Amino acid sequence: MSLVLSEVSYRYPGTTQGLRGVSIDVKSGELVAVMGPSGSGKSTLLKLVSGLTTGHTGRIILGGVDLAHKPVHQRNIGMVFQSYALFPHLTVLQNIGYGLKVRGLATREWQRKAHALLDTVDMAEFADRPVTQLSGGQQQRVALARALAIDPKALLLDEPLAALDATIRGHLRDQIRQIQRRFKATTLLVTHDQEEALTMADRVAVLKDGMLLQLATPKDIYNKPACKAVAEFVGLSTVLPATVVAQDRIDTGFAVLTTPTGTRSVGTSVFALIRPEHVEADPPLGTPNTMQGTTGTQRYLGASLRYDFHAEGASQPLTAQARAVAVKAVAVAPDHVCLLDF
Amino acid sequence: MVRGVSLVYTAYLLLPIALLLIGSVGQSWTNSLMPSGLTARWYMDIWQDPSFRKAFVSSLLVALSACVINALLAVPLAYSLYHGAQNNGSAAARLVSAMPVAVPAVTLGFGYMIVFNSDALPWLGSMPLLIAAHAMLTLPYLTLALLADLRHQQLDKLEAAAATLGATPRQQFIGIVLPNLRQSLISGLVMVAAISVGEFNLSNLLTSFQNRTYPVVLLQAFYGATGFACAATVVLLLLASTSAFLSSALLLHNKREKLGLPV
Repeated sequence: MSLVLSEVSYRYPGTTQGLRGVSIDVKSGELVAVMGPSGSGKSTLLKLVSGLTTGHTGRIILGGVDLAHKPVHQRNIGMVFQSYALFPHLTVLQNIGYGLKVRGLATREWQRKAHALLDTVDMAEFADRPVTQLSGGQQQRVALARALAIDPKALLLDEPLAALDATIRGHLRDQIRQIQRRFKATTLLVTHDQEEALTMADRVAVLKDGMLLQLATPKDIYNKPACKAVAEFVGLSTVLPATVVAQDRIDTGFAVLTTPTGTRSVGTSVFALIRPEHVEADPPLGTPNTMQGTTGTQRYLGASLRYDFHAEGASQPLTAQARAVAVKAVAVAPDHVCLLDF
Repeated sequence: MVRGVSLVYTAYLLLPIALLLIGSVGQSWTNSLMPSGLTARWYMDIWQDPSFRKAFVSSLLVALSACVINALLAVPLAYSLYHGAQNNGSAAARLVSAMPVAVPAVTLGFGYMIVFNSDALPWLGSMPLLIAAHAMLTLPYLTLALLADLRHQQLDKLEAAAATLGATPRQQFIGIVLPNLRQSLISGLVMVAAISVGEFNLSNLLTSFQNRTYPVVLLQAFYGATGFACAATVVLLLLASTSAFLSSALLLHNKREKLGLPV
């Protein structure tokens, strides 16, 4: 079942915050991550789809049906909240079965389904525990099972891993993705964690100030960001203002670099985006786009090193990441200098 | 230093109670530090005094009725205040919380006297009016207890979760809100009962001779023998502290239950 948001706008009463003409289509069974800094409107988007916030313009269509005037409890959209929002007065099993119970299912029926879902999230032995005794990760899995129990037409995940330790986050990320695939759940995932978005999603939507900046595959978001804001928000990078000085030549003020300029005419102002892993340390003589300079701050990251490289004449350092630090020069392959329009 | 202050404070609190206990079993106590003789006579006297027995029953009736009325009023009131406050400021919630301080029982009592001593509303001295007055006086305390619990537990989030799972607003209220408010409702009601049982100002202004509450009759006791007055006060003390112990016992029970400890 597909979820289509078409030109959705919303303004919080009395503020300028909200959403401005956001269009996102989530195909059946697809996981789209909505990413953006806080205040970008990503949570608002989720609330509008779930129906917890109302009063948008534009259309939200789930499986061909406009959700505009459907109250929350009739939408049949499963949601996992950031705080999990498990019912503290109920056991694990009762929590998972709650959605089935309110639909009037017989006790045996909802318990059977709830047990099956507990198995799915590897928590069969916790059925009769009060949810208040569970760890964060366990609560998260119960919340997911509870949302899936109602056979939702769509699944909404609101920062599902934000409250967890880094050590279990990775594992749960994989598990959520696996379960989502198995249930073929059309899913919107809201997160401010780019790693979460890039690893889990089929496509990523980047939001800023209530506007959709880009909707693309994780690969394209990272390698071909649509604008400077996306590039800066997703992954580390150095963004240099530059001018096109000839076909496939740009001038950054301290170096003239070779890179495909496409149809941009001479004199066009652009941004040159360079990812840290594309900065090559001490390249062989004659490598294109070689810059002389010195290394500044270094940060040991375990598997690699991240360091600042101060190219001669440059006003800002180049962020680089590699196994070894550059001594006197770095180079960036022409294909890895990504140009962004102003 | 802190220990010293708390010792003095404890003595200040407990000494009168100790004296009351001693006085209530003393045969005679006039112009001496301690009473002389040991007797259960004063308690027997109270037991046999019809006006005290009647007042005891009246007090219980008033307190119980106030509890029932408050339970019916405060839950929806606190619930709508909680949701209203999220939408448009919390002026109403602040007003409710200021009420017990801003409107002393005496003010309320005089107001009732003026209104209900008229030809149109000649209900002064009637039991229903007394119950209504007690309910009014104690309502803010219960409402505040519930409101604090609603905020503390962030029940709106649980309601939102229930809604996404398909629960109608009615199902959310009955299945999610009420069970989670159980604790504060019980402890709040015990507080209501304790306040109502000990309430003097309002009751003194509003009761007729026929339905005097215990504290009102208690005042009469002090015109008689010291031992009798002491015994009468001890009875009131027992009545009120039973409520207090009951409430803390209930809270403890619930807490242990929640933590999965043996109860």
